[in-house]
Amino acid sequence: MDNFEKYIKDNKALFDVHKADKSKLWANIESGLNKPESKTKTIKLWSHPILKVAATVVVALGLFSLINIFIVGQANKNTQNYAALQELNDIDSHYKGLVAYQVKLVNKSTQLSSEEKKEFLSFMDELDIEYGLLKIELQKNVDSERILEAIVINYKKRIELIENLLEQINSSKKLDNDDVYTL
Amino acid sequence: METNILYTHKSLVEKSKLGDRNAQYKLYELYVDAMYNISMRMMHIKEDAEDVVQDSFIEAFNNLSSFRYESTFGSWLKRIVINKSINQLKKKKIPVVPIENQMYHIKEDTEDVSPEIDIKNIVKGIRLLPPGYQQIINLYLIEGYDHIEISEILEISPSTSKSQYHRAKKKLIEIVKTL
Repeated sequence: MDNFEKYIKDNKALFDVHKADKSKLWANIESGLNKPESKTKTIKLWSHPILKVAATVVVALGLFSLINIFIVGQANKNTQNYAALQELNDIDSHYKGLVAYQVKLVNKSTQLSSEEKKEFLSFMDELDIEYGLLKIELQKNVDSERILEAIVINYKKRIELIENLLEQINSSKKLDNDDVYTL
Repeated sequence: METNILYTHKSLVEKSKLGDRNAQYKLYELYVDAMYNISMRMMHIKEDAEDVVQDSFIEAFNNLSSFRYESTFGSWLKRIVINKSINQLKKKKIPVVPIENQMYHIKEDTEDVSPEIDIKNIVKGIRLLPPGYQQIINLYLIEGYDHIEISEILEISPSTSKSQYHRAKKKLIEIVKTL
């Protein structure tokens, strides 16, 4: 080794004149690393001010998205409720139509005395009240499936009632007719 | 004694092998400047040197299980940096070995230089060498590889490495004298 070589080797440290941008390089390195097998993930690196800011931004974004997810979840829940209400409205309008039609038939019927009509309508009113209660229950959302079932039963009863009434009217008509024939 | 040196930072290396980010960062912190300087000496461009250093650390940490203390962690890592730098230079078509036809006009006279030259001038002088000469001077004089190691790195024979080095050194001294 000559003097020149020796001189350089002795002063090797002076050749290291550059300083690496540690945090920038590490950020890129970290993203390329395999996922660690252990859970110890605490990185000393947060002591750097820029990374602190970056971390804050990340945390803020995380929170924001969490809140977002929560709101969307709520909205989903609302749409579920909405779907149930929609279903109820469909059932409602279907049966309402039927009941209204049959009540009209009863009212039109000439064979019934006003007393009979009144009695029948009071039954219907009772069922109406029950129906109102069920609707309130449904909004409390305790067990919407069971309440919906109850509402359907309520409607079915009304229709059954009306059908029975109409049958009676018809059968009495028939009876009248039969009488005529027997006579 | 030798084994002690080989096992420098053993616990950090072992933890890093398991993927401990903390230990990996500590190792990174210990070696990043040295590795960056090695790469800068070869690449000269900041962005290129940074790319090499990043890729080297990623490769080192992801393949740490293959590190078996046959050398120190530092020299293992350094070898990765050197290899990546050489590959990058080759990709950029920058010669890593001196061009052959420059071989035939040398006389073997050892000029001695006064040991009082400013290191800064030597750094500058190395920069002014043809690219192929720069690498061999860097590898031998500054990185401290011997001619057998250099022959592996540059894929040349050890005797070529020797002769190229002497030519490069001569040229460097000539340049430095003019500075």
